[in-house]
Amino acid sequence: MKFKNNLPVVFLTPPMILLAVLAFVPTIAALVISFQNKELGRTGTQFIGFDNYLDLFSDRRFANAMQVSLEWEAITVIGTMLLAVLVAVLLFETTRGRTRALLCTLLIIPVLLPRVTAAFVWKFMFNPLLGIINYPIRELTGAPIEFLSGLQTALISVAVVDIWQWGLFFGVILLKLLETLPKEPFEAAKLDRVKTWELYAYVAIPMLSAPIISLTFIKMVESLRSFDLIYVMTRGGPGIVTETLDMYAFSQGFVESGRISYASAMAVLMLLATIITFTIIFKWVRKWQNV
Amino acid sequence: MKKFNGVMIGGCMVATLLSSAVYAGVCSKDIKVLAQPRASLTLLEERKAEFEALAGVSFNIDFLNENDRRAKSRAEASTTGRYQVYYIDEANVALFAENEWIVPLTDYYPQAYDFADFDPGRIKVGSYGGKLYFAPIQGGGDFLYYRKDLLAAAGITPPTTLVELKKAVAALHDPANGVYGIALRGGRGSGANVWRWMTYFKGFGGQWFDGDTPVFNSAAAVKATETYLELFKYSPPGTSTGSWTEVTEAFNSGLVAMIIESSPLAGMTEDSKLSKVAGKVGYTIPPSPLTGGGYGHGLAIGAKANQTEQARECAGLFIAWATSKEQEMARLEAGVFGDLNRSSVFDSPEFSAKYNSEIASALQDTAKVTSINYWPNPDWPDLGDRWGIILEELITGSRSDIPEALDELEDYAIKLIARRR
Repeated sequence: MKFKNNLPVVFLTPPMILLAVLAFVPTIAALVISFQNKELGRTGTQFIGFDNYLDLFSDRRFANAMQVSLEWEAITVIGTMLLAVLVAVLLFETTRGRTRALLCTLLIIPVLLPRVTAAFVWKFMFNPLLGIINYPIRELTGAPIEFLSGLQTALISVAVVDIWQWGLFFGVILLKLLETLPKEPFEAAKLDRVKTWELYAYVAIPMLSAPIISLTFIKMVESLRSFDLIYVMTRGGPGIVTETLDMYAFSQGFVESGRISYASAMAVLMLLATIITFTIIFKWVRKWQNV
Repeated sequence: MKKFNGVMIGGCMVATLLSSAVYAGVCSKDIKVLAQPRASLTLLEERKAEFEALAGVSFNIDFLNENDRRAKSRAEASTTGRYQVYYIDEANVALFAENEWIVPLTDYYPQAYDFADFDPGRIKVGSYGGKLYFAPIQGGGDFLYYRKDLLAAAGITPPTTLVELKKAVAALHDPANGVYGIALRGGRGSGANVWRWMTYFKGFGGQWFDGDTPVFNSAAAVKATETYLELFKYSPPGTSTGSWTEVTEAFNSGLVAMIIESSPLAGMTEDSKLSKVAGKVGYTIPPSPLTGGGYGHGLAIGAKANQTEQARECAGLFIAWATSKEQEMARLEAGVFGDLNRSSVFDSPEFSAKYNSEIASALQDTAKVTSINYWPNPDWPDLGDRWGIILEELITGSRSDIPEALDELEDYAIKLIARRR
């Protein structure tokens, strides 16, 4: 009996230790380094208190990166979920059997592509002189659109790639969830002669609210890791228009300055902001679900 | 040409047999190299067996594109330092040398490989504090590349001054018919947009620092930036955030009338497999008062991975072999024009036979106007990259106040100097 009670502890201890080492050691190291003036290419490191944090608040690129990160989160999360719902409903309404299975397989392919590969492919497609997207635009208007160099278009263009990868994948997941719903509410609604959009807006989607919220959370976390896509497609440009926090931190730490401590201070602030934001949203959603 | 090949191969084989006896035992393990893609390095990999016969060990090259190579080599050399040989460029020699991530090369470069044969300009940019740190893989100055056919059709002679250049660019600019007046680098980076901007800045008399005091925030910097932005109106789409690749591809695709770019482009431009404008391009020096951007990339001996004298000698032997006259002649034979650095190769009959006299004379002429435009200091990559981003903001229109932009860079430079102290 005693052995049985101890079994969870026996199994849980090794992974918990591993998790602690993997998660806490780098976090604590980043925290310690953020209070120093460590730089690649400079000898001698001292503790300088909150100087790095104070410098961040007068750094226009940090303020810009915060704003871009928020915009990126909003565009990619909302865009992905809208596309997912649209794709799921469209496939649920218009396809059956093997056609649906084949389309589902095709729609999963984008998310299976490595992000860097997807970024390179789209970057070439957006090319104003040689890209396939610009070809019809150039033929029709006489001038190409500089999608990745335009101040108004750069962030949206990169977000399109992210939404293309995840929106289609989530669409397939939602389609499979729609297939599991009981038929009775749909039949009852049809007897009441509701329109198709009303059927999904007021019956199907509310029935799937829990998995949709979970998918939204997954996408929110995933969107925070946008570095590879932005790095390949725009490097944060034009200027600093697509420079997110992780992009700016990497740039300060390794590309431009080698200011490891300054970059660590950004990472710590980003961690804190993420924890606080997610905690608030999580509590808000739980409260909303209980109402 | 067949006779030339036979003599070359025979000579190399004899030289390899003799030298392998001399250098036997210098190396004890394979050499790791961190580099950026270069046609000459790909050629080296094809000739790996030669080095194995010479030194008894092999080598592996890890390739990263220029920006990533810079970032990775700085992070790697300052921490683990696992590479015996680093590919470095003129902009980071000071940083690497000051931090002793690399060691002076001349002590470990075997005399038989004739270091003095390298073009003096290449050696100059590979030096810091009076010591030489890399053997050149490529380098040079700038050419004004112009489309002879387009200029002749418009009755324009190749511009010799900036005023003439501006007029010619405006006259030749005809995007409706697929011709842009000029192509400029707009994308960020001390080796990208700043590299080209500096030729205007220095040409107008600008200076970076007086001792530790920044003096670049000047009328010369404002005029250089205004001129650069003015010319950018005639640059093709995609170049406002593009660099060497976008600019040279646009020119070699036949979309651009004139560009001022680094001299190694001439080899690509005259290669009909890579260029639609082969045979249609003229070469001359940049219009006055622009200076040519003197630059050089080369191979240096890593300090951490080569702790012993023997290890450094081995790395030195690899660099000497990789930059030898035999390798340069092989590059010439393969048409890798951009990676030639030795005076004896430029003066060879094979070079004259392969490249037209216009290129050869432009190479000689441009050396006279080539200068070191960057700030030769360990903090240059940091300062240059910061200006690169601000300049990209000006080019793409997310900011427009040039004096304010220069004030911001000056504040940054003052903080940079303070941190160094």
